[in-house]
Amino acid sequence: MTEILKTIGKAEIRKDAWQKAAGKALYTADIPANNLKHGVVFRSPHHYARILEVDTADALKMPGVLQILTAEDIPGDKIFGPLVPDQPSLAQEVVRHLGEPVVLIIAESRKEALAAREKIQVTFEPLTPVFDPVLAAKPDTPQLHEDGNVITELNVQDGDIERGFEEADIVLEEVYHLPRISPGYMEPETSLAVWEQDNSITVWVSSQHPFTDQGFIAAALDLPVSSVRVKSSVIGGAFGGKEDSSLSILAALGAQAVKGAVKLVNNRRESFLAHPKRHPAQIKYKLGAKKDGSFTSLKVEAYLDTGAYSSYGPAVGMIFTETLTGSYKIPNVQVDTYVVYTNSPISGAMRGFGSPQSHFAVESMVDLMAEELEMDPIRLREKNILHPGDKIFTGVIINETANSLPICLKNVREIIQRFQAIKPSPGKKAGVGFALASQSMGLGANVPDDSTHRLEWAPDGRILIHLGSPDLGQGLATAAEQITAESLGIPFDQVVTLELDTLDSPNGNVTCASRMTYMAGNALIDASEKLIQQLLIHSSRILDVPVKNLLYKNGQVIKPDGSKVPAVEFVSRLAEESIVLCSESTFSFPYPEDTTPQHLPIGMPHVLFCFGAQVARVEIDPELGTVDVTHFAAIHDVGKVISQAGVEGQIEGGVATGLGYALYETMLQKGDRWVDSFTEYLLPTAKDLPHHYENIILEVPEASGPYGAKGIGEITLVPTAPAIANAVYDAVGVRVTKLPITPERILGFAD
Amino acid sequence: MKPIEVIFTLNGKDTRVSSDPNRTLLEVLRNDLGLTGTKDACGGEGECGACTVILNGKPVNSCLLFIGQVMGQNITTIEGLSEKGDYHPIQKAFVEAGAVQCGYCTPGAVLASKALLDNNPRPSDQEISDGLSGNLCRCTGYKKMMDAIHLAAERHSND
Amino acid sequence: MQGFDYLRPETISELKKDLSNPGARVLAGGTDIVPKMRQGVFSASILVDASRVISLDFIEDQGKEVVIGALTTHQKLTDSALIKNVNPALTAAAESVGCIQTRCRGTLGGNIANASPAADTIPPLLIYDADLLLQSLEGERILPLESFLKGPGETALKPGEFIHSVSFSPLLGSWGSVFLKIGKRSGMAISVVNGTAAIVLDDEGMITNARIALGAVAPTVIRCRETEKSLIGKEPSPELFNNASEICREEITPITDIRSTEEYRIHSAAVIARRALEQAVDQARERKN
Repeated sequence: MTEILKTIGKAEIRKDAWQKAAGKALYTADIPANNLKHGVVFRSPHHYARILEVDTADALKMPGVLQILTAEDIPGDKIFGPLVPDQPSLAQEVVRHLGEPVVLIIAESRKEALAAREKIQVTFEPLTPVFDPVLAAKPDTPQLHEDGNVITELNVQDGDIERGFEEADIVLEEVYHLPRISPGYMEPETSLAVWEQDNSITVWVSSQHPFTDQGFIAAALDLPVSSVRVKSSVIGGAFGGKEDSSLSILAALGAQAVKGAVKLVNNRRESFLAHPKRHPAQIKYKLGAKKDGSFTSLKVEAYLDTGAYSSYGPAVGMIFTETLTGSYKIPNVQVDTYVVYTNSPISGAMRGFGSPQSHFAVESMVDLMAEELEMDPIRLREKNILHPGDKIFTGVIINETANSLPICLKNVREIIQRFQAIKPSPGKKAGVGFALASQSMGLGANVPDDSTHRLEWAPDGRILIHLGSPDLGQGLATAAEQITAESLGIPFDQVVTLELDTLDSPNGNVTCASRMTYMAGNALIDASEKLIQQLLIHSSRILDVPVKNLLYKNGQVIKPDGSKVPAVEFVSRLAEESIVLCSESTFSFPYPEDTTPQHLPIGMPHVLFCFGAQVARVEIDPELGTVDVTHFAAIHDVGKVISQAGVEGQIEGGVATGLGYALYETMLQKGDRWVDSFTEYLLPTAKDLPHHYENIILEVPEASGPYGAKGIGEITLVPTAPAIANAVYDAVGVRVTKLPITPERILGFAD
Repeated sequence: MKPIEVIFTLNGKDTRVSSDPNRTLLEVLRNDLGLTGTKDACGGEGECGACTVILNGKPVNSCLLFIGQVMGQNITTIEGLSEKGDYHPIQKAFVEAGAVQCGYCTPGAVLASKALLDNNPRPSDQEISDGLSGNLCRCTGYKKMMDAIHLAAERHSND
Repeated sequence: MQGFDYLRPETISELKKDLSNPGARVLAGGTDIVPKMRQGVFSASILVDASRVISLDFIEDQGKEVVIGALTTHQKLTDSALIKNVNPALTAAAESVGCIQTRCRGTLGGNIANASPAADTIPPLLIYDADLLLQSLEGERILPLESFLKGPGETALKPGEFIHSVSFSPLLGSWGSVFLKIGKRSGMAISVVNGTAAIVLDDEGMITNARIALGAVAPTVIRCRETEKSLIGKEPSPELFNNASEICREEITPITDIRSTEEYRIHSAAVIARRALEQAVDQARERKN
């Protein structure tokens, strides 16, 4: 018997939306502080240079200047990094990318800090930068780091690649180029740090990993972790680009140096240079197939440009590698992925984490193969898609949620028919294309991934969620509230989420990797059960009735005679006894020992996947090459919809970001500068999105998920670019293998 | 550089500020007047609309207004939309349509929407996307914002 | 941002006086100047805010000429029935500038003085042989818009001078004026190439007047005179316009920059020129009937 769910699946209204719509939500830059000082960063004007001398004498004399810090002044760790500690908080001896922080200036006002920055004199010896990861990977190119330019080399194989290609009737090879793009969150990075009377420090961050920030700040300031309190402000978008502690470390160093409150705000230009971007990729993709369409073999050689410092580069390389077979079973595979340092701005965890790059190659190539085989592209995919129980090349066995793949394709077929029936506008050529996608969830095998969250029953009857991971704006808190409300059988309105504060929040781990609804949801279901147990134990004591004779349902304790007592009565009674009804639960991402291969590096493989497909109809002006996406459909399996508006919002936003990747966005390097403003870096506007848009949300339950739910955060931008590329080919017969798909590329007037 | 005195009507109230003239309305709102609802997303280049305010009934980017230019003018910021503590119908529509995710672009988008609807109470899809095209958003894909504007328009015509 | 002294004249004579100070520059809508000052590429020791001089904010039918005050915003131009009547290319151009927020502030005078080779409102004025009335404390002069534009961001404006207004004579008879633009995206688009054409037909349907102006393909917006010559006295036909678009390719000198490549600009300019001419002819024929 399926119970009717009370709040799960509904379009509940986010509680934080009211303050946001009123302009009252406090993002880090909005937070007031007494006696606030301001920090600005002197950043490297060179792509690559040795630092010969730093002269701060003139700057120190400027009015209002309080402190000027260089690397020498950092009391603790001067270098940090989430995977490989290679990123200086302030550069020492060498700068490796344009915009790298060199000097921190703290002054009474931002204006005075900026004026002092003009007086900083740094003598550089410019070196020849390298921007091409293929070049940088060669041993005779200057090595940017001690251990060489190739930070990660992944060689993964399965089967017999030689035999695989021999068996193939058709072998196709193509090289795909993916550009550097920006997460483009609207709120630039900001941090506010306050040195407290007791020599501890409080730091407000706009960050996906406040607990990680806490650790790095403590290390840099040479303080015990317990002396560092990190508070998560309202976050104005993150998309993977705010898994970076650099600005919060600097704000903390500043606050420590002046023993006061210091705010640092990146402007948009600094944000472009300073914070992590999507890894550019060059992918040589060779696919073999038999005449009947079955894929026999895949060989990939790929270079990912991780920029000047590692950030999450090695991990991006892993998910990139794992997703190179897309949604298909390919028996013989060889992948060589190189993650390489260059003198470019840092590449890191941007939403999708390697999968948008890999899928552009996979889904473009599969369409190319379909054409070569003279086979319908849906048929070709149906022939090769994964089924439950299939083993992919990493050794992972796909679970029953792969049943959503044929459902995706069925929907694709129906939508394509409809879109193809639409007559093109006068003078335009129309085309329809689609792409399938798989996105991994989780941090990868053998990476500790524990997420702890706590529930508290307040005396007024509300449930307080001490959520251990930040809501980035995507609505994690709402999903957590719905799951909790459902588990406790109480109204959604009675559940609230508290702001994350490392002082008393449990550690939920970083919000990323399409997994936090899954992790927090599971933890909260368990915590709810524990909370109910505690309630019953206390009620039993108060009522003097054995626990086993008491029941709980929908916010009420049910006595043996059937009468019901609202739980709140017990909770407020307990409060009088100074007892807080509280429960905590830790959920660890499951990597079942018997089914998780152990032969790959730490962080591989991933074992749980999301699936989806997108269909695009484009109209192209054949003379000008301009592309208009007129109709779009997104098909995504989320296991179970927790928050209807939240899921739709993630899909619609992801599609828009994917469309930007496909058509407009590229962070180019031009001589001594990078594209670093929204004038030149073009995000899609409201006029650029298709007017006709359909969401088809599938629910193939994930057995291990809260109410069957899976992730949705990243996959929504994975099939978009290849779907559009395939539609462009359908319209004008041009296969663009480099993003963005510009009119110049379509007409052959640019590389 | 001589500081200047600027007197203007802000959210219905007479307001006086003294400022260096090379500061924009955005900076003065946020730093001098404590009104942090108006946001900076593009670094003051007029490319994102997060700083949108309504000037004499028209939507403008406050990052492109030097403070002296608002002398004697009528400015409405997001803080001025709620009357007597209640939410403006457009704010309600945004919230109820699910158009608010991270919320950073929301104040600017709400004001741009208000300016649009004040001028054109039943806009078409095309007119809505035109009216919103100066407000960048990375979270929502704009769809629910457009739904919100339709919702506010319908409710208004039903009143 | 650099410091400056700020003056706010209310009348034209105050404006003239304020602008006569050394180092004084005009501020109108601010949509170009404010970001440029922030980036350090525009400087002024005195910024003269002309935005209150309401006598510079007008659109007038003065019989032989239409005169537009320099402070007319792009939004006002877009909404003007008069402009739509006499120069629909200008309406289309004004409507395509930026977004509603910038159109409510950016002015025609500012757009012209900014003299971007990609400016949208300049080509529809250029094809009407628009004149600028420039004023200063010293006096005033009339300069053809074409002579006013000297290079990217460079004009013939002298220190102490400001643009008072732009004037042009409406086309007579069977005429059409069309503006087309290619941007990299649909919203807030800076022109990759823009093209404006005006055509006048006689009673037999032959072309008696032809003007083409292209933007973002040369150091300034330019008239394609050779292309125009090739059309005078001829009967409109696909071959005629194909030929015209070929000639036009020779008259432009686009560059490769962050937005596009030289080759694409040459190609698309020719396409836009041809289409603008074709559509101007269609408009002219409709006007005839």
